[in-house]
Amino acid sequence: MKGKCYIQGMAAITPQHTFDGDLMAQPMVVTHGNMLSCAEPDYKSFIAPNSLRRMTRVLKMGLTASLKCLQDSGIAVPGAIVTGTGKGSLQDTERFIKEIRDYQEKALNPTPFIQSTYNAVNGLIALQQKCTQYNNTFVHRGFSFEHALLDSMLLLHEGTADVLTGAFDEITPEHFFIKGRIGHWKKETISNDKLYEHPSPGTISGEGAVFFALTPAVTAQSYAQIGGLQMLYKPSPEKLHAALPEFLQQHGLQAADIDLVLTGENADTNHAHYYEILKGYPQLPFKHLSGDYETVGAFAMWLAAQILKHQQLPSQWFPMLQQQPAKLRNILIYNHFFGEQHTFMLLHAV
Amino acid sequence: MEDLKQKLKVQIIEALNLQDTRPEDIDDNAPLFGEGLGLDSIDSLELMVLLERQYQIKVEDPREGRKILQSVQSMAEFIQSKQPA
Repeated sequence: MKGKCYIQGMAAITPQHTFDGDLMAQPMVVTHGNMLSCAEPDYKSFIAPNSLRRMTRVLKMGLTASLKCLQDSGIAVPGAIVTGTGKGSLQDTERFIKEIRDYQEKALNPTPFIQSTYNAVNGLIALQQKCTQYNNTFVHRGFSFEHALLDSMLLLHEGTADVLTGAFDEITPEHFFIKGRIGHWKKETISNDKLYEHPSPGTISGEGAVFFALTPAVTAQSYAQIGGLQMLYKPSPEKLHAALPEFLQQHGLQAADIDLVLTGENADTNHAHYYEILKGYPQLPFKHLSGDYETVGAFAMWLAAQILKHQQLPSQWFPMLQQQPAKLRNILIYNHFFGEQHTFMLLHAV
Repeated sequence: MEDLKQKLKVQIIEALNLQDTRPEDIDDNAPLFGEGLGLDSIDSLELMVLLERQYQIKVEDPREGRKILQSVQSMAEFIQSKQPA
């Protein structure tokens, strides 16, 4: 893709203290248990009480992160709103389904149904900002955020002035239980700071809402440039091994040009072999901070952009870090969702 | 009638998640929509569901619904009129 894409503003609500304050000074939030939940901000500063009372968690998280992102970028009404979500509002979905059962499909409350639709967050952002532009939500499991990002980059390439791009997903105890039954989570209970000391089948779950304001031109405030994006669905080991050098070559880079790889390594022995393609690269995992979920790639991109902007790593979040990288110009993100959806993302310092 | 109105106020606060509102803050005759409690069209649907779930009353005609949902007083009068003598 020829057009350029810069991160002009961003905001994140995650299991770490990422919403405000000095990132480099925030200690790692340690959760004992395999389900990481977001550190939620005070929503009343962003959403009117009359609207707030009806919203469930992920709607509040998504809307607040998007509004903070717009504030950060200085853009009031974006040229497009494009998001990705793996599950949408689980709380509303669960409530609606339970009410169907409890009330024998009669006397159903409209609110959880309306809010259980995947595009509810986008609708709320558009209403709040009076934005009547392009509005789209992608729901493609582990590719949800990546497709939103690809669509946003295409929009910028076609001339849209700026795009609000984001991702949001939540975990509930009920959904955690269901996914546990298909082997997504570890059997042993651990804490997130000890994740990589427990290589075994399954990982820990997470959630988050992350938004970016993307523009085609760089400014003094820009966090980073998004240089490339590639998605591979269930690649064979041979195809995956060949894909990484090809991806770098397409962007005029070699392995030696990559200063850091943020990897989706999650101590799940069912899918650990995929990360062998990164042998020899300087790398750090990030899922001990976020847990795993469909749109965790947005958190990785936020983290990479913060590192590039600050030109240093928040070392308190990475106890495995031996020393700060000598330079931080190019960061590669490699992630996959339970071995199915694989993504490369490339970010450059500006 | 007074007990019914008190019960209704508690049910409305719970159903609509009216944070920071207490039953005694709701005037019997104050309009529920617009200037009164400031409810909106989705709340009117929620109140219809409340009538159906709590009192087994189904309001079929939307024009009738507008009159019924004017205030706590009008809702209580409607509920009472539907209850067996």
